[in-house]
Amino acid sequence: MTEPSRALLHRVVIAASALLLFFDLLAFLAGDAPLSAILRGLSATWGTPYGIGQVLYKATPVLFAGVAFDVAYRAGLFNIGAEGQIAIAGLVTAIVSSKLPAGTPMIVGVPIALVVAMAAGGAWASVAGGLRARFGAHEVIGTLLSNRIADAMVPLALAHGFGATSFRTHDVPASILLPRIERLGDAFRGSAASLAFLLAVAVAFVTATWQRRARLGRELGWVGQGPSVCAAEGIPVARRVLLAMVLSGAIAGLSASATVLGYKGHYELGMTSGAGFAGIAVGLLGRGRPWGLLLAALLVGTLQQAGLVLNATIPKESMDILFGVAILAVAMVTARPRPEAAR
Amino acid sequence: MTTLEARQVSCSFGDCVAVREASVRIVPGRIHALVGENGAGKSTLLRMLAGAQRPTTGTVLVDDRALAPATPAEAIRRGVGMVYQHFALVEAFTGLENLMLGVEPVTGPPSLGVLAPDRMRARAREVADRTGLDVPLERAVASLGIGERQRLEILRVLVRGATALLLDEPTAVLTRAEADGLYALLRRLAGDGATVCVVTHHLDEVVEHADVVTIMRRGAIVHEGPAAAQPVASLARLALGEIAGVSAPVSPAADARVALAVRDLALAASAPSGVTLSVRAGEIVGVAGVDGNGQDELVLAIAGLAPAAGARGRVELAGRDATRWSPGDRLAGGLGVVHGDRHRFGLLAEATVHDNLVLGDAGAADEDATVARRLAASGAQPSDPGLHARALSGGNQQKLVVARALDRAPRALVAAYPTRGIDAAAAAHVHTRLRDAAAAGAGVLLISGDVAELRLLAHRLIVLYRGAVVAELAPDVDEATLGGAMLGGGA
Repeated sequence: MTEPSRALLHRVVIAASALLLFFDLLAFLAGDAPLSAILRGLSATWGTPYGIGQVLYKATPVLFAGVAFDVAYRAGLFNIGAEGQIAIAGLVTAIVSSKLPAGTPMIVGVPIALVVAMAAGGAWASVAGGLRARFGAHEVIGTLLSNRIADAMVPLALAHGFGATSFRTHDVPASILLPRIERLGDAFRGSAASLAFLLAVAVAFVTATWQRRARLGRELGWVGQGPSVCAAEGIPVARRVLLAMVLSGAIAGLSASATVLGYKGHYELGMTSGAGFAGIAVGLLGRGRPWGLLLAALLVGTLQQAGLVLNATIPKESMDILFGVAILAVAMVTARPRPEAAR
Repeated sequence: MTTLEARQVSCSFGDCVAVREASVRIVPGRIHALVGENGAGKSTLLRMLAGAQRPTTGTVLVDDRALAPATPAEAIRRGVGMVYQHFALVEAFTGLENLMLGVEPVTGPPSLGVLAPDRMRARAREVADRTGLDVPLERAVASLGIGERQRLEILRVLVRGATALLLDEPTAVLTRAEADGLYALLRRLAGDGATVCVVTHHLDEVVEHADVVTIMRRGAIVHEGPAAAQPVASLARLALGEIAGVSAPVSPAADARVALAVRDLALAASAPSGVTLSVRAGEIVGVAGVDGNGQDELVLAIAGLAPAAGARGRVELAGRDATRWSPGDRLAGGLGVVHGDRHRFGLLAEATVHDNLVLGDAGAADEDATVARRLAASGAQPSDPGLHARALSGGNQQKLVVARALDRAPRALVAAYPTRGIDAAAAAHVHTRLRDAAAAGAGVLLISGDVAELRLLAHRLIVLYRGAVVAELAPDVDEATLGGAMLGGGA
């Protein structure tokens, strides 16, 4: 074994141990037996078809948000606005789709809904993106503030004419709901996972290929590495920055496929909250690789589902702590010494 | 009085051997020049002498005692100070504040006391008076010129008590007049008993100013001897192994069309008038001037990257008004630009050579063929398109940038400092390619701080001073007239 890979293994072991240790500590503090808690958590997630379905359901919007974050991040932008982009896209998708006539065939209705979701998410992100591209206003501020505006606008829209009640929209036609994993067998009954998970995985891989192969995808990466170099070589940097933000918002918006089309059939307040922020962590954990994004999203799904199951003894918020530990551990594992420090 | 010695030192970075069993002794009272191509190992050897780089094997001795630990702090404690090629100054601080940084004089207990800038000021004045090193101490570094910043760096090393002064490419960024001033200063310091070692590319400087010359090639010392006894050509042969031949300039036809014109372009808000110049097809126009007199603004305004001051002026490409064109439109309209700041406007260090060669025109069906053609034309080594650009030396990176611009067959080419900081062989390659471009009908605007380069390549010279053209001269004009114009004397 070469020296660097041994050092890497060393750090992976340390990181995994840290995760385990923290879980034990949390279980112990909550008065639960650590080993039994781990086993219960595992069996409730990856131990049953229903558990697996729940993990996949929870991982879906987070994976969309993670890919969305990554698209902007490669272009040198820190889009922390997926939270708002997801909420707006979910709301608009549900409102528009609910106007479709009952019995609209899936082959027509789903593409319409997905295009609406991408358009709404992209349009919402274009505000912060445009401010950045045109005026140089920092996108972190722009997306942070647009999250707050979305927080206020969604209940306002629901309460004033766009909602069935003040907290939810009308239902979309049942004919355009995405097939659920339940169809695979009785064991999955009640699980909310749907075809949207496969869509998210496909988006992750297609996006990665686009970034590597397509002219625009490559240019986004170059703009992230050196905007002044790109400008000097004639790449329209401001337009690429806007494109990256709009694309990021559009991908985040696709998470409506999991929530509106895949689960409830309508949008309701708070249904997507947290997914956008978890997506930031997934994007950072995934390290720009589709497999990494997928695994990170599954980790989030697993911890969230396990948290619900263990909630009786260990507060489910502990899982957020564990996820934080995972991020720090991975950051530690992948940290490289700076060249100067290595000498 | 400090004698520096490297005894059989080697230094490797991974598989790459930068310095191979080099031994050199640098004695007080002399100016010792260390010359060689880019990547010959001279900067690494210098850094080892200054404690900034630990030798893989071998020993560095200061006054016949090993430098241990091999750190810059220990080196300066023993009287060895280094002035780096890229200055390490805080722009927002004044000269005095920069001098104090890290060795702040305090009254009272060391970590709780009050700063005593007057003590440093007195000390700096004392050193300045003794050496004739004139630096404005009270002005912010941001407002200082390159030469002043360099003198500040030297002063910083001296006030820390250095009696051995190591300088890495000190003249790379200086004009000829500034370089002469620097060597006069170094001569005074050596006369007072200081030990001086200078790394340089410029062989004519060595012959003119140095006492001893050590020549390195591919990490090894290949020659050491008195500098004055050597003609430049024989030094070049030792440093390069061969001499790159240069052909005489080919004059353009007198009625050639205008490839690039700039009319009343304001380069500085304070400039009395805008810059007007034109470059005909096949012509190389040299822009001379001390750094910071509007050269960068001129290049950025022609490239379309930054508007002229007060948005005044006009840029024409092949007779068409390009003033409102985007940078991309200008490139498409036949403009090529080789920027002076390669890291800011030339290459993405973290992208591959392949990607760097097609920045701006990626995605064409024949992209692989384009990359292969540009890479071959560049002559860059190693010629592997999959490598990251940062893996290449500065000279090879510059070859890529030049090849990319020239492969697009520009009708007008702006080349800013195209050979700054690269070795003689790479510079000769770039010179040949610029000549070829002009011979093929491009109008070339060559901006350079190297007067010899301008004389070698340009058909005519213009001189920039404070954002204005102050003189138009023939390339064979005498040194005094050109130097006077560069310093604002007019002609």
